[in-house]
Amino acid sequence: MLDSINWALIAPLLIVQFILAIVALVDLARIHATNGPKWVWVIVILLLNTIGPIIYFIFGRKTT
Amino acid sequence: MNQFTILLRKEFLEAWRSFKFLWMPLLFIILGITDPLMNYYLNDILSSVGNMPEGTVIQLPDLQPADILMASTGQFQLIGLAVFAVSVAGMMSRERQNGTVTLLYVRPLSYTALFLSKFIMALFLGCLSAVAGYGASMYYTALLYGSVNAIDFMKMLGTYCLWLLFVTAVCLMFSAMLKTGAAIAISVILFPVGLLLDTMIGQFWHVSPHKLGNYGVMLLTEASPYYGKTLALTCLLALIAIIIGIVFAKRKSITTAI
Repeated sequence: MLDSINWALIAPLLIVQFILAIVALVDLARIHATNGPKWVWVIVILLLNTIGPIIYFIFGRKTT
Repeated sequence: MNQFTILLRKEFLEAWRSFKFLWMPLLFIILGITDPLMNYYLNDILSSVGNMPEGTVIQLPDLQPADILMASTGQFQLIGLAVFAVSVAGMMSRERQNGTVTLLYVRPLSYTALFLSKFIMALFLGCLSAVAGYGASMYYTALLYGSVNAIDFMKMLGTYCLWLLFVTAVCLMFSAMLKTGAAIAISVILFPVGLLLDTMIGQFWHVSPHKLGNYGVMLLTEASPYYGKTLALTCLLALIAIIIGIVFAKRKSITTAI
């Protein structure tokens, strides 16, 4: 089953999700405070793929 | 004019620092890729996780490139648009709530420049995301299903950008008018939920801004006779929303507590 998948087709999807998660995690490490505890955001970013980092960028960042 | 340039630069800097230019296009790219891939692998997905009894034969429709682009548009309209509307609806009201805008209010300020700088930034962000998303979707569709007429594709993309212009104008208008929470709630009800309602009971009317995205995709196969009217109505409503937004940006500055 695994070798029948055309990885050239799937790879961009995985790469984009990976970039999103990495950028969100780097930003989380550098930002001084978030809405809610930081460790919760780590879990959200890592476990909810695609939508987790997006939720963090919209609601997690404190912009004041 | 000079004031406008400065405010615009500030908006772009802020959007860049909050990674908006990164994650919004990436989200649209993911949404755009998902549908062609999912439809292409649907047979494998069903046979491995569908829990079908032995020997089930499923007749899948023979999908055309335009069908895939229509499905991608559906994704953009539901998830992408919700995220876009939420982020635009907070742009003016959030600055009012946390007080940063008072730094602008104490100076002689053109409210037209203030509103338009935010509008241009949001529109640019939306169009960038739409181009990235449709580009990714088209790339995969061309790879897996076949190509469409390039000029029709450009027209479709332009139509979708006009629809985003309307969404931006209305969301920003509510953002200028109301508190963040209320603005977000109304934007979400008006756009993603409004689109759902339009698909459910929309056969009773032919001209509404919500239909513009679908009419745009229909340009690829056969253009809707109502396309022109819808386009004109959408532009008109967007213009009205921009004017109301500027008026309210000014009016709210008087009542904002410092």
